[in-house]
Amino acid sequence: MSGAFLSLSGLTKRFGGLTAVSDVSFGMAAGDLISIIGPNGAGKTTLFNLVTGQLPATAGRVAFKGQDITNEPPQVRARRGFGRTFQISKTLTALTTLENAMVGAFLHHRDLAAASRRAEEMLELVGLGARAGIKAGNLTLSERRRLEIARALALDCSVLLLDEVMAGLNQTEVADVIALVRRLHREGLTILVIEHNLKVVRAFESRVIVLDFGAMIADGMPEAVLSDPNVVEAYLGRKRT
Amino acid sequence: MAVSAPRRAAEGITTFAAEALRIAAILVVLLALIWLYRRDPFTLNILAYTFLFASLASAWNIIGGFGGQFSLGHGVFFAIGAYVTANLYIHLGLSPWISLIPAAGLAAGAAVLVSWPTFRLKGPFFAIATMALNEVAFVLANYSDTLTGGPRGLSVPFKAGLANMIFASRLSYALLMLGFLAVCLLVCAYAYRSRLGYYLQAVQIDEDAARAAGIRVLRVKLTGMAMSAALTGIGGAIFAMYLRFVDPPTLLSLPDVGVKFALIALIGGVGMLYGPLAGALLIVPLEFQLRAGLGASVPGGNLLVLGVILVLCALFLKRGIVGTAVMLWDRARRRFW
Repeated sequence: MSGAFLSLSGLTKRFGGLTAVSDVSFGMAAGDLISIIGPNGAGKTTLFNLVTGQLPATAGRVAFKGQDITNEPPQVRARRGFGRTFQISKTLTALTTLENAMVGAFLHHRDLAAASRRAEEMLELVGLGARAGIKAGNLTLSERRRLEIARALALDCSVLLLDEVMAGLNQTEVADVIALVRRLHREGLTILVIEHNLKVVRAFESRVIVLDFGAMIADGMPEAVLSDPNVVEAYLGRKRT
Repeated sequence: MAVSAPRRAAEGITTFAAEALRIAAILVVLLALIWLYRRDPFTLNILAYTFLFASLASAWNIIGGFGGQFSLGHGVFFAIGAYVTANLYIHLGLSPWISLIPAAGLAAGAAVLVSWPTFRLKGPFFAIATMALNEVAFVLANYSDTLTGGPRGLSVPFKAGLANMIFASRLSYALLMLGFLAVCLLVCAYAYRSRLGYYLQAVQIDEDAARAAGIRVLRVKLTGMAMSAALTGIGGAIFAMYLRFVDPPTLLSLPDVGVKFALIALIGGVGMLYGPLAGALLIVPLEFQLRAGLGASVPGGNLLVLGVILVLCALFLKRGIVGTAVMLWDRARRRFW
């Protein structure tokens, strides 16, 4: 699985003396679904921000479709096809659900009518069609997460980055979002997911990368990775003997 | 891939065409108001000022409201428009109608130039920077004798005529200001009901989310600022021809110009299309009546009452007149339908 599509090489981010992401390298082929897991503070969100350009990298490079995009700001990467959600959801609360999705759709649909239609389609896709006219501030947490996905999809993105979209959702809501992500993956979208919930990662049945203290400690399919002693130690600590 | 362009917008989305119809209806009502008072110069003067300040506050609202960049420096763009037009008229005899183009252009150019660095600042820091800009402009206007006439100001000789934008009757001025208001409302509606308007709102609410949606934040802010400043420059030009006298305190006094645009928008409903119009319809006539009725008997009494009204608005009309009306309407609709 060499990553001609999206590749990270030696990606590092330091905040003063703290190395939040340390020498992370992996590649994604088009259509891959990869989950990034790791304990709190492992650097998952920082890694995400390096990939989408929200933070500048200290060292290393990010390449997309063979082009070096390491120094590009987030808005340029979004134009290239990066869509993302935020861990603390950034819905535009003063706008309606439909208008939120439109903000994404305008990127490739200049016209108001065309953008609103495109936004409507994306809301239907994530199951928010009936909530279109409601102010986004009145949506539930689960709905906001799905709205963020709809906004990213409305960008016509080719890579979707989901930052803990399941956090704080109940069982049914988690099942809904899993089904949505799997469906998008089946339709050919390349997806990078940060996830805390190991059940979710198992459900995806696809490649998992484990971060601990900013470094990659495991990379492989869920069964192998989740039984790796290093991973168990990172999550649960060492067993006392 | 063939994309058939859908012509109708989705339900719940107001298009520019629909908004233009609303504006036409509003203009008819305001025109009727002028007709009603056509023989009353005192009221016509109030109406002219009301429409002018409604226009200027609407122009401010593009960047200050939709874009959330709380500028207190719009007096600078106002002054640029006024000085450009007065100078071109006095020295070259150029018709003010033609001067509207350089007035708008220079105001927009100056706005882009000073906003480029200041847009790095957020919230109150941006407001303070623009306020400082206004004060610097005040000093410069006082010292640049050749361009502004310094503290003595510039007087435009009275030569009535349509080409000179100078009229003998107040009625013509009221109509002129209404025409300017029509232009401003249409430009605002176009900005609000288009990609630019949504991008400005996205930038206002959350710049990180805006960037993630591919929005070039600085460019969107500069575009909004340029549109806003261009209209403000035209307003300054018209104001100069109405007063036929301009000096630094009339154009650049912070409380009477720069802050007033923002204040009117805040009282009417900041970030809402018709907020500034509603604010101007309340505040400007009130100010005139208070000054005429109370200012003579109790010195400063008019300002006192105005101050109390502003405090009450801040306490009870947090979303402004239009915002509160919309909220009450929504609540009523939910209860009775």
